[in-house]
Amino acid sequence: MTTPNPDASRNPTPRETQITVGYKALSPNQKDRLEKIKVNPAEGDAPPWDALTNYKTVGTDVDRIDGMQKATGRAKYAYDINFPDLQQAMILRAPIARGVLKSLNLEEARAMPGISAVVALKQEGSKVRMVGDAIAAVSGKTLDMVRDAIEKIRADYDKELHNVDYLMDEEAPMLTDDGDIDEDWPEDAKIDKALAGAKHTHSGTYRTEVQTHSSLESHGSTCRWDGNNLEVWSSTQATFGVRGELARALGARNIKVDSVDVHSEFVGGGFGSKFSAGIEGFACALLAHEAKLPVKLMLDRFEEHTTTGNRPSSLMQVRGGIDENGKITAWDWRSFGGCGFTGRGGAVRYPSYYMQGAATRRKHRDIACDTDPARSMRAPGYPQGWFGAEMFLDELAAKAGMDPLEFRLKNDSEAMRLDQWQFAAEKFGWEKARNRKNDPNARYVTGVGCASARWGQLGRHGGRRSRYGITCRIHPDGRVESRNGAQDIGTGLKTVLQILTAEELGIPASSVSGITGHTSDPLGPGSGGSTTTPSIAPAVRHAAWLAKKELIALVAKHMGVPEADVTCADGKVGTKDAKLDFAEACKLIGQTPIEVHGERYPNYRDRPFHPGVCGAQFAEVRVDTWTGEVQVTRMFGIQDCGLVIAKKLAESQVLGAMIQGVSYAVHEQRIMDQRSGRMLNGDFLRYKITGTKDLPELECYMHSVANGHNNTGAAGLGEPPSTASAAAIGNAVFHAIGSPVRHLPITPEKVLAAIASK
Amino acid sequence: MSHPPDHGVSRRSFLKGSAVAGIASTGLTAATKAAAGPPVPDSFGPGEHEITLSVNGQKKKVKVETRTTLLDALRDRMDMTGAKKICDRGACGGCTVLVDDQPVNSCLMLAMDAVGSELRTVEGLANGDDAHPLVKNFVTCDALQCGFCTPGMVMSSLACLESRGKPTPEEMRRDLSGNLCRCGTYGRVMDAIDKTAKEGGK
Repeated sequence: MTTPNPDASRNPTPRETQITVGYKALSPNQKDRLEKIKVNPAEGDAPPWDALTNYKTVGTDVDRIDGMQKATGRAKYAYDINFPDLQQAMILRAPIARGVLKSLNLEEARAMPGISAVVALKQEGSKVRMVGDAIAAVSGKTLDMVRDAIEKIRADYDKELHNVDYLMDEEAPMLTDDGDIDEDWPEDAKIDKALAGAKHTHSGTYRTEVQTHSSLESHGSTCRWDGNNLEVWSSTQATFGVRGELARALGARNIKVDSVDVHSEFVGGGFGSKFSAGIEGFACALLAHEAKLPVKLMLDRFEEHTTTGNRPSSLMQVRGGIDENGKITAWDWRSFGGCGFTGRGGAVRYPSYYMQGAATRRKHRDIACDTDPARSMRAPGYPQGWFGAEMFLDELAAKAGMDPLEFRLKNDSEAMRLDQWQFAAEKFGWEKARNRKNDPNARYVTGVGCASARWGQLGRHGGRRSRYGITCRIHPDGRVESRNGAQDIGTGLKTVLQILTAEELGIPASSVSGITGHTSDPLGPGSGGSTTTPSIAPAVRHAAWLAKKELIALVAKHMGVPEADVTCADGKVGTKDAKLDFAEACKLIGQTPIEVHGERYPNYRDRPFHPGVCGAQFAEVRVDTWTGEVQVTRMFGIQDCGLVIAKKLAESQVLGAMIQGVSYAVHEQRIMDQRSGRMLNGDFLRYKITGTKDLPELECYMHSVANGHNNTGAAGLGEPPSTASAAAIGNAVFHAIGSPVRHLPITPEKVLAAIASK
Repeated sequence: MSHPPDHGVSRRSFLKGSAVAGIASTGLTAATKAAAGPPVPDSFGPGEHEITLSVNGQKKKVKVETRTTLLDALRDRMDMTGAKKICDRGACGGCTVLVDDQPVNSCLMLAMDAVGSELRTVEGLANGDDAHPLVKNFVTCDALQCGFCTPGMVMSSLACLESRGKPTPEEMRRDLSGNLCRCGTYGRVMDAIDKTAKEGGK
């Protein structure tokens, strides 16, 4: 397949190569899914790895490269940066959900002891849009002194009527007492016909509540000016984004900026909330400028819960039908997103691979209210929609008297997941667990459920103007470094750099450093939508491959043999007959290390093995029918992410997504006070996230797939496993108690109500 | 004013106590730990005072206000940033340090109340990459992702190991129930404790 190449001038001659893609059988009763495809790598790119590549380091259990720094407390996060004379800072937040800032007087605060700078963040007369809107910021010697000064700021407001519940908005649909949407479906000839012809039909309304990201390191930064050069240590998922944003914002405030350098060597979680420097980052830079001293401004936990975004709530209604063979023939979906004051970000997605042959309709509307706006959160729109859709599927299957797994096998159109379903069901012991009968008089009942996982990130090659890159250095002492300016937010990017470089050079991972998080290094993406590893991995390989060629050239010259006869593998560089140890070979480098720039070429234009990634999860719950409490007791997940690079780390990410899923399914909910417009549980005492006592027995299986979309074939892993967990748990609760709880989180009162409604 | 025997006054119990007792704002009574530790003055006015803390076996002088928490003293005054400030309300365990071998949320303890106690922080568990077996097993088991909860997890895990020797999964769950992790590392943290216990390296 050839398509015109827009980069033709840069990469003049694409070279067609045949590679093997797919995966080996997951279990003895399955077949290998390997196929040969033709791809066209760009001139100058490293040749592709494929299913036949014999990996030495990739896919093994290499330890996280920065694990020791983190476990010893040595790792310095933005929150941990200290300087002599470092100033601490805080933001004054609006106490009202809607209104106007009538007056603002900062003078008394400025005069307080130990205070170094006070800046207004809102002009008098500006609108206040939510509780927690930023008004002014103060820096001073200690946080206690700053807190004293904040109390001396005089801010007066003209309050307006507010609404912090999207379901109270006039745009919101009416609900019946049972929580169903009380609104007729608009007519649609195709859908109506499909429903009329269906063997079984069903309808249901599903709801989810606002979830906050709850990253443990709050948002914020430490800023230090040196003349017109600003250095920022930021807790961010987008070092380059923060750099550009701060330069623009300071420029707009007529502050001269010659350069902005951002450091995010360690980031205490982000989950989608940390793409912007935010008002807190801007305030920190302003305070440091005014104070002429370094300033640290990190949000407190209440600010973190209430001003840094969230996964918005959702309301979904589905009606659908199946034919006599159990195939879905009709799928009618309407959803509403419960958003913050911007009225955006509430879109909900559903797993469309189940209803490929069906008549479908999809409608969505976002509804605004006077709260903190939504931000992307780990698979934005997916866990909500998957919960609604996968539970609807189980209810529909129940009506048809079908096993939920059998129903999925019949309707899932993705071949790779069909293998995964079967493999995971065996591992989990689905058949036995699903057919186990609860004693009708028992206090504790158990149930099992399943749900699919999906995401589609195969990586990007660059920003608008420049491609992502890697600096790879081979030092004369045999040490190798691979550097990129993007951030490792805990996913393991540094270890990915290390492993891929080691693999390409044929040396142990321990000889390689992976360094990330400094904007002085080559461009990388923001870590959103599972982009980082699939975007950067091909550049890592390319850089290591170029560096290897330079080393080979040196050795060839030294040995007086043609370069083509020299290989660099298994820790040796040389010909078939004469080899040098890698470290010996590196001594030929001289004083200046080999330094190359690797480039991220666009993904091949040829069709890969699969356009995204697939997964499946199974969950078991135990429900206390007296108290309504749900304990998730066991989960199994299978997940592919293209090439599995750092196995142990990839597993951690999947297990972590499952735990977050438990949290979303049974614990988390932002509770707003309609009267004050304030979040009532904006702390970790009352905003419950899953802890050790809620921890199920967890197991995951990483399914490595040679996907053939670039020289490495890595796909994004952060989001996909988080799409399935809450849905699988919801279905397990349905199985346990015999009636569905259609509203997350599945709290005891909802469970008791569902049991009573039977 | 009552307080637990080993922990001194927590910020919360202090606030509660001061409201009841109506202590004047001009002077505060120090916790009565003087018998065990070096002599401390009977009362402190507003402003900073120099105290001596015993951290990881070393005596360190530090200037704090009466209201300065142990966590802020460690992080902001002594540049020991291993203990993390996450919730600042004793709900997450990220600031866990050992005070006379007991795990304590250092955000809930006033620095002055730590005078006379032996403090152990995560920094004391390693000398370069030569680290306590538990720390090494955190890495081997990949019991961390973003790593922000990790120092607190390590300290709670250490207390669990030291007090129980070979803890059962149930005991680990209980001892770590005050430590929150958003990345979801709990299972592997328990693996790391278990591995350390089995290797005999508490």
